[in-house]
Amino acid sequence: MGKKFRFELLLLFAVFVIATCGLIYELVAGTLASYLLGDSVKQFSFIIGVYLFSMGVGSYFAKFIQKNLLKTFVEIEILVGLVGGLSSVVLYFLFENAASFQFVLYFLVFVTGCLVGLEIPLLMNILKDRVAFRDLVSNVFAFDYIGALLASILFPLFLMPHFGIMGTSLFFGMINVSIAIVLSFVLQNEVKRPRILQSKALISFTILAVSFLFSDRLLGLSEEKFYGENIIYTQATPYQRIVLTHQKSDYRLYLNNNLQFSSQDEYRYHEALVHPAMSMAPKIDHVLVLGGGDGLAVREVLKYRDVKSITLVDLDAGMTKLFQTNAILKGFNKNSLNHPKVTVLNQDAYIWSKANTKRFDVVIIDFPDPSNYSLGKLYALNFYQTLQKNLTENAVVVVQTTSPYFAPKSFWCIQKTIQHVFPQVDAYHAYVPSFGEWGFSIAINGFGTTFNTVYRTVQGLRFYTYQFDTMNQFPSDMMQKDVEINRLDNQILVRYFDEEWGRIQ
Amino acid sequence: MKSGAEFNKSRRNFFKSIATALVVLPMLQACKQKAKQWVVKLTGTRHVLGHRLWSKDFPAPTAHLSVPIVIVGGGVTGLSAARQLHRKGHDDFLLLEMEDHVGGNASNGENTYTKYPLGAHYLPLPNREDHELIAFLKESKILKEEDQTGLLNFDETQIVFAPNERIYYRNAWHEGLIPKSELSANDEAQFAAFFQQMEYYRSQKTAGKYWFDIPLKNVIWVNENRALDQMTMREWMEKQWSSSKLFAYVDYCCRDDFGLGIDYVSAYAGIHYFAARKKNAQPEYEDGVLTWPEGNARLVRHFHSYVKDKTKVNHIVYEVKIKVGGVELWVFDAQKNQSLIIHAQKVIMTTPQFVNAYLFDSHKKYARSFHYAPWLLATLVVSELKDNETYPLCWDNVLYESDGLGYIYDQHQHLNQVSTPKVITYYHSFSSDNCKRDRRLLYQKPAEYWQQKVFNELKKAHPTIEQVTESMTIHRLGHGMISPKPGFITGQARRNAAQTMENRIYFAHTDLSGISIFEEAFHQGIDVVNQLLS
Repeated sequence: MGKKFRFELLLLFAVFVIATCGLIYELVAGTLASYLLGDSVKQFSFIIGVYLFSMGVGSYFAKFIQKNLLKTFVEIEILVGLVGGLSSVVLYFLFENAASFQFVLYFLVFVTGCLVGLEIPLLMNILKDRVAFRDLVSNVFAFDYIGALLASILFPLFLMPHFGIMGTSLFFGMINVSIAIVLSFVLQNEVKRPRILQSKALISFTILAVSFLFSDRLLGLSEEKFYGENIIYTQATPYQRIVLTHQKSDYRLYLNNNLQFSSQDEYRYHEALVHPAMSMAPKIDHVLVLGGGDGLAVREVLKYRDVKSITLVDLDAGMTKLFQTNAILKGFNKNSLNHPKVTVLNQDAYIWSKANTKRFDVVIIDFPDPSNYSLGKLYALNFYQTLQKNLTENAVVVVQTTSPYFAPKSFWCIQKTIQHVFPQVDAYHAYVPSFGEWGFSIAINGFGTTFNTVYRTVQGLRFYTYQFDTMNQFPSDMMQKDVEINRLDNQILVRYFDEEWGRIQ
Repeated sequence: MKSGAEFNKSRRNFFKSIATALVVLPMLQACKQKAKQWVVKLTGTRHVLGHRLWSKDFPAPTAHLSVPIVIVGGGVTGLSAARQLHRKGHDDFLLLEMEDHVGGNASNGENTYTKYPLGAHYLPLPNREDHELIAFLKESKILKEEDQTGLLNFDETQIVFAPNERIYYRNAWHEGLIPKSELSANDEAQFAAFFQQMEYYRSQKTAGKYWFDIPLKNVIWVNENRALDQMTMREWMEKQWSSSKLFAYVDYCCRDDFGLGIDYVSAYAGIHYFAARKKNAQPEYEDGVLTWPEGNARLVRHFHSYVKDKTKVNHIVYEVKIKVGGVELWVFDAQKNQSLIIHAQKVIMTTPQFVNAYLFDSHKKYARSFHYAPWLLATLVVSELKDNETYPLCWDNVLYESDGLGYIYDQHQHLNQVSTPKVITYYHSFSSDNCKRDRRLLYQKPAEYWQQKVFNELKKAHPTIEQVTESMTIHRLGHGMISPKPGFITGQARRNAAQTMENRIYFAHTDLSGISIFEEAFHQGIDVVNQLLS
């Protein structure tokens, strides 16, 4: 009696674990899908449907398994742990290739569902001769549903906050497989060749444990705490670390931990960056974009049909390639970097500008903030003098110049530096919620146009109204007169920037 | 190597051989996991060639050549002389250089990643009064034409970029060459008073002439500054200062500029480092210096047009004879392995005095008073330069109280964002009262010895330096620069050695000035030509 009871209890406990794990995998898949693809209602709905359906498929095929039921049961337990546990890792890696991503996602959900679906009929077959049918059905389903309840409570309240999405799935994979290990040892007298089964279980456990230990480092999950958002993509290029996060309907791109854009409000930034210059320039045949490897500024430039060519110079091939190939990111920039008018050059902007002989009518400069001495060079007097040789007469140059509110000295330092080079210079600012109050310097390489001239407009902008004079007024808390010109030899801007942002952080 | 390290001495013609040997090391390093291949680069036969001057076993001359004016030596002095001859309308000259290139102490090396200096590597901003130098900088497009304000307008890309210099003191990098945040109140007061005193000397004039000036020929000698040349810098400092950090700083400056520290150079020379530069070129730039990845080899390039087609490299002069109506130079052409006789009306010798001693019997006795400090440079290619990032990598990176002078980041003046691998050049001077012994040490110790010494010093700030080093090229300068020991600048030896011989042979070299800097070489070249033509 004691032994029989233990046998039954053990198998019922296994059902409980499988049910918990199965639901966890489903929740992980649903969460991942809504992180990566957005639209969580749709994603969860599809995932649950596919999962339940595939459980049915699994249950149906259970009837064809007639021999070695116990051994098969343990093997399936191992497989569920391995497939379910590793699914999140696989999906993270595949995210870059978003086309195959959806297929793999549903395939994994389907396989997990099938395997979980196999387990209950199988178990009932194993126990049918040992337990009264009435008790069997009640107990199996009771444990199954209790497991489901536990999983759905644990997942959002405890597992996600502590383990993160990948840790959760790997951790439950390990629990899943450890049940298989226990079974393979306790029941070794009841199955054939128990050693093989045991080693399968142990190897699988090791794979999951290693992935679990290294998952943080592998995929930069440790950064999640820093970002407070779900990291869905990371890539370290030779120049920077690119991190894409997703929270609700907002995607954010970080370069070296600095926010580059938020999908919610980047239109404000990019419209303010691009459209004033594009509308006041007498000619817009040839446009140069420096930095801006995300292609968002290029997207705005392409709205002007008259543009004949756009040259984008961004040092980081990893960045431009990502925005040329990834489906989600291409969605943001409207596939602008693959447009036939656009030439992408992965070169150092300073060196390129010194060697370049082509002349441009509009230049849009979207470099990272001057947070170090290397970047500071790209805001130096000599850089603008070098750039001037790349311009047609009356060309318009616009530069993102950090926040006049948080960093007024930095902002006006860049402004003063540009004033030293170009005949007409003005500054303006726009409110971008994710950045705060943000500023720009704009210069005309001649006296042939003015800042308030509008040569052309495009329809459908959400922020810029083509009334430049609504943006170039600065309240006194954004003013700073006492600044020096930024030169290569003093790099005073980097000092201002460090002082001002250091105070905030 | 802030402020003046240049041993911009002009080319010592024959003696580059002894003075310079480019040695490359086979690397041995037990601790290293994989054996690395060191770059192998040798200057060739110059060493052997120079030694032959002692025995003069050259083949008998088989050819003759007549040239009105011959310049012997293609360092900065010789090149500056060539430029001055051209400016005065005399293009009928020939320049002889023992090495296979001109440039002397302002030469450079180059690897896959960058050019790097093999000696002098920067020029402080000129004094406003130095019109000759300012004219040269303008024609070289280092200085632009003055704007309305009348201030000197330098090309931004040729002034050292920020961040300029840092010092490693007690496990942290600090901005500048003085660990300012580590100074006691007493240290601070002494530094302030010291700089105030230097300001006093900087402005002192008698009869309209400075007590400290560049070139030194413009200095007015009065009792006060003459007395300073009779004692060492340490003796002078000990009269009024006691801060160990101040002593360490001034000692560094002297070793950096003269190769010898405060125990050996005269107080006049030590103060000259601070007081001779008037800092009046452009107030905005304050302590700025002009520098390039290849160091002062960039300045040498601006002389090329004057000596193009008028230079014979690989030519060593081994006899100089005054004849009726001219001078006979016996010259060995190392390339063709044959000798020739060049007949010249006038000859400008821009060779150092330890070479002149073998060419002119009269100079043997003078040469004894000239002491030359040896130098060692090591250029390292490193895959990354890890340190504790307490202050970012600078152009000049100094280790407090280290035997060496720290290192220069050779790609600092590059305009691009990121440079990997990085190339740095480490400088080491030998500060002692026995230059001869140090010179022997420099040549006798094997390459591995110097390599380890360089590593040991860099390791203090960069613990992983041995693991990240991909190659090291060691450059030895046996006679790096003239040492202004007490009494030398005010003494007779350099005046005697500079005496023109029978209005035929003229002498010019920084060792005749007493301080080895680009400006002295530059003016030596101009002055010797003016003297020859007068």
